[in-house]
Amino acid sequence: MPTLFDLFTAVAMILGTFLTVVACVGLLRFPDVFCRMHAAGKAGTLGVSLLIVAAMIDFAPHEAWVPVRGALAIFFQFLTTPAATHILARASYISDYGIAERTAVDELKTFLPSRPHETYGRE
Amino acid sequence: MATEESFVSPFLHYVSVVCLAALLGGGALCVHRVAIGPSAADRAIALDTLTMVFIGIICILCISWSSALYFDAVWILTLVGYLGSVAVARYLEKGKLF
Repeated sequence: MPTLFDLFTAVAMILGTFLTVVACVGLLRFPDVFCRMHAAGKAGTLGVSLLIVAAMIDFAPHEAWVPVRGALAIFFQFLTTPAATHILARASYISDYGIAERTAVDELKTFLPSRPHETYGRE
Repeated sequence: MATEESFVSPFLHYVSVVCLAALLGGGALCVHRVAIGPSAADRAIALDTLTMVFIGIICILCISWSSALYFDAVWILTLVGYLGSVAVARYLEKGKLF
């Protein structure tokens, strides 16, 4: 009979694994770079945070420092992943890496024109 | 006292084996995207996701072994994992790193 801590740990672990695997499948299946970033940036971040939460719950009764380090890890994850995804999407748009043909509307075109031929010689 | 806490319960051991197998499958999908990715941005975002899969594997192994010895690697990987993406982005945008 599993204890309550084991039950919460298992629930967080299964949810986190599901979301991380969903991020990997989306990374493989989506048509262009921006859709892939959408999958990896959102589902991946939440899945990893849930896996860290599972470790925090499991170690909370007998290792007091693990929840502190886990909270630090989740904080850094939520700090760094959106910044990296945003700067990579912007660079990918500027250097023109092919939006999928199914894209309905491209609102960024009026603000940030693609410059595929000027990127490497700029500045 | 340390000996009775150093073993994880059979239920949690079973769940962690299943989750570990699923995460390894997801990591294989990421490696496939790194191999076939048409552009450098695809490869960068796939490597970023692969870092996330590694973090999850380390967390599950910590739970399964009942040892917090490797848990420092988790928050260090969250700190340095995004540097590759930022470097690739700066290279694509400006043509140089610094």
